[in-house]
Amino acid sequence: MWRLTLRNTLARRARLALTLIAVVLGVTFVTGSLILTDTSQRLLDEQFRTSTAGVDLTVRDAAAFDSAMGVEVERDPLPATLVDRIRAVPGVAAARPVVRGQGLLSADGKTIVPPGASLLASWEPAPVGAFTLRAGDPPAADDELVVDADTARRHHIELGDTVTVRAEQTESLRVVGLAGFGDGPGLPNSTVGLVTLPTAQHLLKLGGDVSEVAVVAADGTDVQRLRDRVEAAIGSGYAVSAGQDIAASSAAAAKTQVDHLQLMLFALAAAALLVGALLIANTFSIVITQRTRELAVLRAAGATGAQVLWSVLGEALLVGFTASVAGIGLGVATAAGLRDLAGAFGITLPDGGLVVAPRTMIVAFAVGVGVTVFSAIGPARRAASVAPVEAMRRSAAASAPGGRVRTITGWGMTGIGASSLVAVLAGSGSLALVGAAALAAIAGLALLGPALTPRLARLIGRPLDATGIPGRLARESAARTPRRTAATALALALGLALISFMTVLATSIKDSIQRSYTEVITADYVIESARNEMLGGLSHHVHHHVGELPEVAVASRLRYGHWKDGAHTNALTAVDPVTLPRVTSLRMAAGDLNAISGGGVVLAERAARERHLALGDSLPMTFSRTGTQRLPVVGLLRDRDAQALSTDYIISLDTYSRNYRENMDASVFVKVADGVSDAAAKKAITAKLADHPTAQLRDQAAAVAGRTMSIDQILGLVSVLLMLTILIALMGITNTLALSIIERTREIGLLRAVGMTRGQLRWMIRGEAVLIAVLAIVVGVGLGIAFAAGTVSALGSTAELALVVPAGRLVLVVAVATLAGLLAGMLPARRAAKLDVLTAIATS
Amino acid sequence: MTTGFAPAAQPSPTRSAIAAQVRDVVKTYGRGDTAVRALDGVNLEIAAERFTAVMGPSGSGKSTLMHALAGLDTINAGQVLLGDTDLSGLGERKRTLLRRDRIGFVFQSFNLVPTLTAAENIVLPLPLAGRPPDRAWIDDLVATLGLGDRLRHRPAELSGGQQQRVAVARALAARPQIVFADEPTGNLDSRAGEALLSFLRHAAHELGQTIVMVTHDPNAAAFADRVVFLADGRVVGDLAEPTAAAILSRMASIDAPATRKTR
Repeated sequence: MWRLTLRNTLARRARLALTLIAVVLGVTFVTGSLILTDTSQRLLDEQFRTSTAGVDLTVRDAAAFDSAMGVEVERDPLPATLVDRIRAVPGVAAARPVVRGQGLLSADGKTIVPPGASLLASWEPAPVGAFTLRAGDPPAADDELVVDADTARRHHIELGDTVTVRAEQTESLRVVGLAGFGDGPGLPNSTVGLVTLPTAQHLLKLGGDVSEVAVVAADGTDVQRLRDRVEAAIGSGYAVSAGQDIAASSAAAAKTQVDHLQLMLFALAAAALLVGALLIANTFSIVITQRTRELAVLRAAGATGAQVLWSVLGEALLVGFTASVAGIGLGVATAAGLRDLAGAFGITLPDGGLVVAPRTMIVAFAVGVGVTVFSAIGPARRAASVAPVEAMRRSAAASAPGGRVRTITGWGMTGIGASSLVAVLAGSGSLALVGAAALAAIAGLALLGPALTPRLARLIGRPLDATGIPGRLARESAARTPRRTAATALALALGLALISFMTVLATSIKDSIQRSYTEVITADYVIESARNEMLGGLSHHVHHHVGELPEVAVASRLRYGHWKDGAHTNALTAVDPVTLPRVTSLRMAAGDLNAISGGGVVLAERAARERHLALGDSLPMTFSRTGTQRLPVVGLLRDRDAQALSTDYIISLDTYSRNYRENMDASVFVKVADGVSDAAAKKAITAKLADHPTAQLRDQAAAVAGRTMSIDQILGLVSVLLMLTILIALMGITNTLALSIIERTREIGLLRAVGMTRGQLRWMIRGEAVLIAVLAIVVGVGLGIAFAAGTVSALGSTAELALVVPAGRLVLVVAVATLAGLLAGMLPARRAAKLDVLTAIATS
Repeated sequence: MTTGFAPAAQPSPTRSAIAAQVRDVVKTYGRGDTAVRALDGVNLEIAAERFTAVMGPSGSGKSTLMHALAGLDTINAGQVLLGDTDLSGLGERKRTLLRRDRIGFVFQSFNLVPTLTAAENIVLPLPLAGRPPDRAWIDDLVATLGLGDRLRHRPAELSGGQQQRVAVARALAARPQIVFADEPTGNLDSRAGEALLSFLRHAAHELGQTIVMVTHDPNAAAFADRVVFLADGRVVGDLAEPTAAAILSRMASIDAPATRKTR
């Protein structure tokens, strides 16, 4: 029996080829995602381990938490005198002051803006410092600089060149050396500038203070005990951490973005595999139908039902295994491409050798073989139930429209989905309910498919009649085999539903961001960092410089900060209550914005509602620098206005500087002085920004674009990856039609004999492909819009959001899918047209 | 189909006209040692408005001859004329259009497109050609063949005899120059078969339709005006106004030498 299985599989390799490709693509996706995230995580681990490798203990200012939303908090500097106190502790071999901060490098008048950090640090030789000299000398004099070899190579910096460093101060320094990091030539996606300790202190305006103290234990000293001794010697207010703990926590912070990406990739891989599974089940089911007589002969010859079942499952196993091997190979090959793709959409991942973990192989095999075999179970059971007498019957190719139970269950599930959606749209639903409704509706439609397809295909295919008999036949052919038409269309519909859902949702969110921004912000210009850092990343000098200009009436700045509330991380915005009303049209629902000057907090109405807080209550907020503080609630802001400021919590800039070490602005809103033309103001401001290469002057449209950029990037990445799902679904159309042509050889022979030209025949097949695609478009785009509406409605209860259907983009999706359907029909159409008339007629 | 046939609309005055002819036609399959000469210099004239049967044992080349005449297959040498059109020089597309516009077919089985109704199957070649159907003619055919109440049915809902009658109606619907029937009664019981053959004879005599039928059944061939016998790719006999008995005895005399030769 196994020999027969093997031979059957090989004999039908053409029919199974497209199924194979579907599994291969799914496995490729899973493998690529796993390799990419493993690699990124290992590189980040290594990077942070290397940076603390020679350090046993690190002494820093104490903080309530190390990082929030992937950003490490800034800590207060330490007095240099602390170094001597640490050095005096028995068991300390060395205690070195380290200064670390951000400093942009400029070479040849051009500022280097890397996708990641612009690190500026004091030079330390090994073992404390993680950088090793590759060329030249370490910085010894105050005007000397070492840059990383990678940046030097990319920007043609050579020993002896002058490079300008922009931190709190700007200085031009001479490059005396090039450094590498660990085994590599630098830090991924970053620039590194290394200077003497005094220069670093000067550039970062630290005076005599240092960022942290690196401690090396003497040989034979227990690090844990040493830590206790150091803690005791310097007292509370300082945090003494083991080097490896810091590495782990820094790596964990850096990995949050990788984790988000991984989640997204897995979700998309799951979608691709689901579509693939539908295609596999359909292919096996068609092949089994075509083999009914052969199977009946086998049964008549004495094969048991179980043997037939295992023979079909064996075929699936072979296909799954082959596809998994190919998919893993392709996955390894495309992981790097996936990284570039993510990079193109603004998600920067470290570059380095790929990690192919055994776990990746196991998961890929389990997924590839599992999905294939699981999808073949239904068809295999049907194969096993073929009765020996069917060997004697003429084959009846038309498939049943599905049983009553199936149809009734289908209506039930669809009904539950639809009514849940209506409930959500009526304003009484949560996101979870939308998700459940979507699952119910999809499952319901999958069950209803065979029953609904004939009517739907005939209705949607009506325009095909205009093309005469070929169109009419295309329509009937799709309607005649409802099971396979439904399964094929459903696969494509799922992909299209996801794309439409993402598109509508993203457009709605972008639209609401734009509306709230343009309604609330009345400033003429806003200055922001071109890099869109998590906390803004705009130098605090900008506000000062721009505010001084006579062309500027008001310059009001905003700062972002993170705070914790138990395990949850929240964002807040710090504002100047005096100038802010002059650049915005904020309206308070209660209280007074000015009251935040007294150290209170203003809440968005929805946040107050969620927390059951009213004016006069107090909100406990944990800040990294100062720990938990109770801030009195002094005002409530309308939700829409809060959204325009991207926050639910507003404090004053004074309160901010008391609780945060961070000294970066997020935005500076500018109102031009009366009588000054926009052009003149723009020119003056731009001139002031020359010293701040990452600062950008934006008008209202550019400011909105900056706020919606990340949505565009994610939508772009997801759309590109969903195209893979669409591609698999289109192969499903090609496959179904190719198999159906084999089945309809006689019919095609007859049509050709009575005078159907090859051209007409090709249009008949393509017409069927397009019909399936349009069926999928109607269902898929419909589902996508409906559930985007549900999601918007559910989100709308906690955020200002209204449904916006982007007609243009959806028309594009529809046009591309229709065209793709046409393309999917090309191959089968060509094959059908090539059939020899006489052979076709003679086929039994 | 128990009704009598309608009287001829136009009894044909030119009984001697030639609808198609085959001159020195050679058709070989395969190459070299394994080459088979399916047609080995066949000459034949098909009279217009007559019912001609082509008979022969299997492998005699009768189906190949029909395929060549109908433009379904090409030939290696010789000439096939339909009216005054030389088929031997036509490409695939021209042959397709010729089949669509000038030839009708009835096959042994699988004559109908399963997704179309009987009515749609009957007019099938016309919309393919973009021609409007001649309603009066088709209504006549449908009435004569007794299909009036089956028109909205799909092939799966028709009996074998009904299916073949729909196929005959389809073959005649466009008033082709020749209708080719390949074992049209092969899958029918004798009553349904006889009714169909009577109609074919009627179509030739009363409706002026030229019909060529390939068969190996002497009883079926006896309905024809003339029987041409084929063996080993050659015409080996010709019988006018045949009876079943005459056909049987002629076949016996053809079979014997053929059998000897292969030994």
